[in-house]
Amino acid sequence: MTRARVGAGLLVLVVLIAVPAVASGTYYTYLGMIVFIYGIVAIGLNILAGYAGQLSLGHAALMAVGAYTTALLSKAVAHVPLFAATGIHIWLGVVAGTAAAALFGALLAIPALRVKGPYLAMVTIAFGWVIFKVLQEWSSVTGGDLGISGIPKPRIASMTLGTNQFYYVVLAIFLAALVAQYRLVNSEFGLRLRAMKYSEIGIASVGVNVYRAKVAVFTLSAAFAGLGGTLFAHQQNYISPDNFQFFSSVFFLLAVLFGGAGTQLGPLIGAAVLTLLPEMLHDIDTYRLIVYGVFILITLYLLPNGVMGALERRAPQPARDRPNTDRIPLAPRWIAQGGGASFDVRNISRSFGGLQALRNVSFHVARGSVHALIGPNGAGKTTLINILTSFYQPDSGEVAMDGAVLKLASFSDAARNGIARTFQTVKLFGDLTVLEHVMTGFAPHSHAGILSALIGGRRIRAEAKRFVEEARELIRFVGLEGFEDSSASQLAYGHRRLVEIARALAVRPRVLLLDEPAAGLVAREIEALAGVIRRLREYGMTILLVEHHMDLIVSVSDRITVLDYGEVIAEGSPAAIQQDPRVISAYLGKSLAAA
Amino acid sequence: MYFFLQIALSGIATGAIYGLIAVGYSLTFLTTRVLNFALGMWVMVGGMLTFSLVVQYGINPVLSLAAVLLAMTAMGVAAERVSVFPFLRAGSDVWVMSTLAVGFLFIDFAEIIWGRSPNPVPGLFGSQPVRFGALSVLPQQIAILITAAVVFVALDLFFHRTLLGKAFRAVAHSDQVSTLMGVNVRRIQAGSFAVACGLAGLAGFMVVPLTLAEPQMGTVLGLKAFAIAIIAGLAAPRGILLCGLGYGALEGLISGYLFTGIRDILGFSLMIVVLCFKPEGLFGRPQEERA
Repeated sequence: MTRARVGAGLLVLVVLIAVPAVASGTYYTYLGMIVFIYGIVAIGLNILAGYAGQLSLGHAALMAVGAYTTALLSKAVAHVPLFAATGIHIWLGVVAGTAAAALFGALLAIPALRVKGPYLAMVTIAFGWVIFKVLQEWSSVTGGDLGISGIPKPRIASMTLGTNQFYYVVLAIFLAALVAQYRLVNSEFGLRLRAMKYSEIGIASVGVNVYRAKVAVFTLSAAFAGLGGTLFAHQQNYISPDNFQFFSSVFFLLAVLFGGAGTQLGPLIGAAVLTLLPEMLHDIDTYRLIVYGVFILITLYLLPNGVMGALERRAPQPARDRPNTDRIPLAPRWIAQGGGASFDVRNISRSFGGLQALRNVSFHVARGSVHALIGPNGAGKTTLINILTSFYQPDSGEVAMDGAVLKLASFSDAARNGIARTFQTVKLFGDLTVLEHVMTGFAPHSHAGILSALIGGRRIRAEAKRFVEEARELIRFVGLEGFEDSSASQLAYGHRRLVEIARALAVRPRVLLLDEPAAGLVAREIEALAGVIRRLREYGMTILLVEHHMDLIVSVSDRITVLDYGEVIAEGSPAAIQQDPRVISAYLGKSLAAA
Repeated sequence: MYFFLQIALSGIATGAIYGLIAVGYSLTFLTTRVLNFALGMWVMVGGMLTFSLVVQYGINPVLSLAAVLLAMTAMGVAAERVSVFPFLRAGSDVWVMSTLAVGFLFIDFAEIIWGRSPNPVPGLFGSQPVRFGALSVLPQQIAILITAAVVFVALDLFFHRTLLGKAFRAVAHSDQVSTLMGVNVRRIQAGSFAVACGLAGLAGFMVVPLTLAEPQMGTVLGLKAFAIAIIAGLAAPRGILLCGLGYGALEGLISGYLFTGIRDILGFSLMIVVLCFKPEGLFGRPQEERA
């Protein structure tokens, strides 16, 4: 962080602290409080939509869950002498409301996250509608359209907090929420979220359970919304369903987009502008929807990255020079620790509709060997790789490692069983740096989750530090030293493939699957790739290599299996395979082979 | 029993309206993966235009229908160009917000033009119920069912029997390959959005004699239609009509035997339950992601 930014931040903070002193007890102090409350909800939505890429248009309803929970709870127990004397029930209500919103968030997320992005947004709209209707109809509890009045004012012991005092409480909670967002985004969990936004398949391939991560982040986001709702209830002393309409949900998403989705301060800017805007437009309240509609369109056209996104836009870093891939350095010692495993493919069959992609495919990959899988296009090679890495389920057959059958039920299971892969078309994470890419690969060995991201702790910090060291070693090993902080999207194609290999190695696999790693590489880069493969083999890694590039295959492989039309047609040493008439006819066609 | 059949029957007619709207989501989903988040507001515009043409200007209903369809489809083309295409091209999801923004503009402009109060629109075929034994049905409800049947059969024939319809399905499968095959993908993307808007206009035209024409009528219609599209499966247009009819009947029964307030709560909850157990919808086929 530069000195200028720290200075600017301190200045903003001083101004925020000074508001009640300058404008004591006035409407402006009140507005400031509203900005912070909305800001807390917006931070929750920013984590979900901005960083994890999941749009929600139901956050006003989650806010309502928090608000109604604390309103009902704190009113119900207000007469208990202990609470009446201390005012603890109000803060208990805040905690309970936050927890209730988190619970509702989780219950919604579990079904809703089975659909993706925009469809999720539509489901959250329906959820918001259900909550709104329940608040209206269940009038014996919620007061129906009239809502709940007489919600206790915020109090510490016998001191009722006036506008000025509550302003500082809300400001402190808002700042804590900002810190929580900062910690989360910069944690290992946050890194996985940001990666997931770019490629769910890529992040699943290193063993991250995408669905579970999404549910976790949705739950956290709901907790922020609920917290904002509880503060809103105690600040207003009166709530009704009208406070939590669908339009409010749109308002929050707009605040995030306007401020800058996926930026630290975006939610504050967004909440501030969108709170103050209607104040300025007081006279034309009847045209509210037109103003907001036009405002949404202008924001999307002119500020696609929001205010903070436009300010923070980094100039792309040009790659300084070519990476040194000529000399392959020693592999880090820990790569060899697990040692390669032997690997068995047993009677795997898979069809797509009427097309039999794989028929009864079996072969054995010896421990610590480089085993090539070749065959003409459409032979079923990638289908097989996808089955071995749990992306597809086979119709029949099984996969075994060191003789034990593996259970490969969901996308993330392969990496957790020690199988890592690269992709035929690279699945990288947009603008993340090379170092960050490799860091994601440690997911199966990381103890860091969403809670440790917020709470921290020495063990987690030490672990993260070790992963950074190890990631740097891996980057050096694949020959990308000096490019740790470059964004992977700016690397040359061949180097992006090396990033994928380094990411796969971070999984510490016992079997490494390379799906056409040489595709699109120039001769020099293929030479470097061959060096990496040979070095890994020296360290005892088992490698299954799918490739078309015969020179590479012959130079690195111990054994070759040939697939054609979904069946194994030959297996043997490179020399034997090159002479095999069935292989020649599969590649060159029968008539030519006969001639 | 008569009561049961009676309310189920009127529910089915409402359900046909939901089906007409819901298939619009399916059309754009199949070609561009885009959803018009304000489709309900488009239904409202169709309804308000119908009110103006038929009641205020006294124009012949058939001519009015043609005018509504034409106007809605043309507006659909324009809205796609302004609020979807720029973001689709940039690979961004924010068309969620821009299509909603268009809907917000519609609501306020409708209130400025037509006022907030609900307006009755007479049925095209009179309001004298037709009697089948003890059951009575409004002519408008019969018209709705016939319209929905015609639209769905026509769509089905279009998709499976015509070259243009096959081009639609090709784009749904892969827009890149379709481009290589000489399909004008851009035109089909815009076309599917416009047809969805046109169908929303048709739904508005058909529904206002049963309900009332007012600027706030669209939101819930749009949401229910979405729930039906999810329950049936966004990729399963044939299932959508069936689910629409079923949903309408169920809704009628809930209102009749329980109480109206709980109707939408149960309906949307049903969608969430279906998502739990069959995320691809009751009529959809599960899709495997390609690595």
